[in-house]
Amino acid sequence: MAKKWVKFKRDFDNFKTQCIPWEMKIKEVESHFGSSVASYFIFLRWMYGVNLVLFGLIFGLVIIPEVLMGMPYGSMPRKTVPRAEQATAMDFSVLWDFEGYIKYSALFYGYYNNQRTIGWLKYRLPMAYFMVGISVFGYSLMVVIRSMARNANESTADGDDDNFVFSWKMFTSWDYLIGNPETADNKFASITTSFKESIVDEQESNKDENIHLRRFLRVLANVLIICCLCGSGYLIYFVVKRSQTFSKMQNAGWYERNEVEIVMSLLGMFCPPLFETIATLENYHPRIGLKWQLGRIFALFLGNLYTFLLALMDDVNEKLAEEDVVKNITRWTLFGHYNSSMENSTATPPPLDPADVPRGPCWETTVGIEIVRLTVSDILVTFVTILVGDFIRACFVRFMNYCWCWDLEAGFPSYAEFDISGNVLGLVFNQGMIWMGSFYAPGLVGINVLRLLTSMYFQCWAVMSSNVPHARVFKASKSNNFYMGLLLLILFLSLLPVAYTIMSLPPSFDCGPFSGKKRMYDVIQETIELDFPLFVAKIFGYVANPGLIIPAILLMEVLKMAGILATSTYIC
Amino acid sequence: MGSRASTLLRDEEIEEIKKETGFSHSQITRLYSRFTSLDKGENGTLSREDFQRIPELAINPLGDRIINAFFPEGEDQVNFRGFMRTLAHFRPIEDNEKSKDQNGPEPLNSRSNKLHFAFRLYDLDKDDKISRDELLQVLRMMVGVNISDEQLGSIADRTIQEADQDGDCAISFAEFVKVLEKVDVEQKMSIRFLH
Repeated sequence: MAKKWVKFKRDFDNFKTQCIPWEMKIKEVESHFGSSVASYFIFLRWMYGVNLVLFGLIFGLVIIPEVLMGMPYGSMPRKTVPRAEQATAMDFSVLWDFEGYIKYSALFYGYYNNQRTIGWLKYRLPMAYFMVGISVFGYSLMVVIRSMARNANESTADGDDDNFVFSWKMFTSWDYLIGNPETADNKFASITTSFKESIVDEQESNKDENIHLRRFLRVLANVLIICCLCGSGYLIYFVVKRSQTFSKMQNAGWYERNEVEIVMSLLGMFCPPLFETIATLENYHPRIGLKWQLGRIFALFLGNLYTFLLALMDDVNEKLAEEDVVKNITRWTLFGHYNSSMENSTATPPPLDPADVPRGPCWETTVGIEIVRLTVSDILVTFVTILVGDFIRACFVRFMNYCWCWDLEAGFPSYAEFDISGNVLGLVFNQGMIWMGSFYAPGLVGINVLRLLTSMYFQCWAVMSSNVPHARVFKASKSNNFYMGLLLLILFLSLLPVAYTIMSLPPSFDCGPFSGKKRMYDVIQETIELDFPLFVAKIFGYVANPGLIIPAILLMEVLKMAGILATSTYIC
Repeated sequence: MGSRASTLLRDEEIEEIKKETGFSHSQITRLYSRFTSLDKGENGTLSREDFQRIPELAINPLGDRIINAFFPEGEDQVNFRGFMRTLAHFRPIEDNEKSKDQNGPEPLNSRSNKLHFAFRLYDLDKDDKISRDELLQVLRMMVGVNISDEQLGSIADRTIQEADQDGDCAISFAEFVKVLEKVDVEQKMSIRFLH
């Protein structure tokens, strides 16, 4: 009996390993291009898993209950396209801008009703919406930290020893479980690549240097790059300010409406290669150079994103001011409507058609729409860049080489190398935008899941068909903690705007699950008062006292320090 | 030894193998059926050609050397006892074995014996040292013609430089053990034989 159990466990473990998606694809990429390119794909796969879980949470706990148990489309003002827009609501150009029918669907915040409980299950939707929003961040934080801890463990278990690099390569690199000749060829290729990587490492550490010239060049390069960063920040600020004047114009053309997204995407596309060319002045070891490149692109994207957000905040504040005006208009309209229908009969007056009720500006949906548009344009730019920059370029070099004056393959433009830093940062920032936008546009995570799925297949194909292995081959540092650290930073940075808006801005009065409340977090108060027995409310009242909270925070800090000390002594 | 019936294992043999190698009764019978399925000539011994039919060994750069490790010095056939003796090196180390029996002979699957097995794969002339030439041969087998001779020579030199502690420009067994100190040999050099 025990034997059967052992066999079953073993078969199950094998089955689980076979279920890991895309494992063969990634191994193939790894044996042709080295471990750093493969680490990007492993990271992509991990992100896909995280996003899938987040999508499950949001879809199952927020979107499905509202769609199944909430009021249907057309029954309430917030769920209906206004009369004025109904003529154009199905146009493709309107839909592409995420207006029209898409704006008034479950994809965005504004669709959700503020009814405390819905359906026969008495499902508390506003509470669920709030808690899911928080748990998205909580889960992401937990998963990133766990991954970092696991990577840190692995790198110490394998020995951070660089003492026996070549010996280990020689004695332990063959995989004895390979039975397929083609796989064996792949393994040969990867062993050769790994030896070449180590040779490069050795050469780098043995090079002689002229210290002063090197330092001067490095300072110069950094100055140039800081100038570029400031320039791009100013450009975005300028463009966003201009877009506010455009939105007041009546006849804004396609370019004027999308100028902000276009400029941000173009900056994202052209600045990284610019940084790379400047970085050749610095002459670092490839692995260190990659880290600097990542840091710089990170600063670029961060600056762009925050400038964009600041401009968006201006917009939101304007909308809040507008809201008061609209609130009054709505009241008077309804009043007028009821009065006029009362004059004709004494029966209950017919309700005003939802499409005719004047609407508040609903700033949350606007924020959601802006972020979704930015994400979509980012996705498009990425795909087009890969298609043109890698595939079309490879086709051009291959086929025009016969009739061109100089050797296209050896000189300019030659085949592209896989840009690891650009792709990793694109992924990290995309995820940051998703985190920022998922509270205001629940459907955004679904869009991202689709994007990651297609991205995996598309990029694997592009890399195998159009890229060549790096001329300077180097190994990614064993711990992927650098990428995870970036991700953690972005998680906090994208949590800030959301937390700020939740805590300090009043929700719109006529759209979303928190409409009518003074602040969004009032929903917690309300749930505790109405749904839990009385003593729970009292306990929360006491616990929320600052006198208790501050010592609790201090205690957590102390425990964290103790934990860090304990693990660091373990590592040493 | 013509018919299959006479090559069936006798209980005393199983007991002896169990004592020598530490495999369990069911593992021994299972491995015996594997042995007989490899033995195409049906004469109760395996030859080199029988091993080369296994695909994983055929494409392994060190495949020939591993096959050689099964055969005792100078012989061309290996019987079931010898087969089991070699396989015993790959038995996983169980926790309860680590503490018992410090007085008896070291079990065949101890860390030191596993490493010794690996060492013998590289040390072709059996002088208890891996010399530069032997390293070069291994490297040539592992990377084919993709890296130049000169670079291979530097890799071999670098490897010896890393591992050599007594300055004799060769890797002795003790130095080999030191090199692989941080590598989880017990886990990597173990096969989970089915019970």
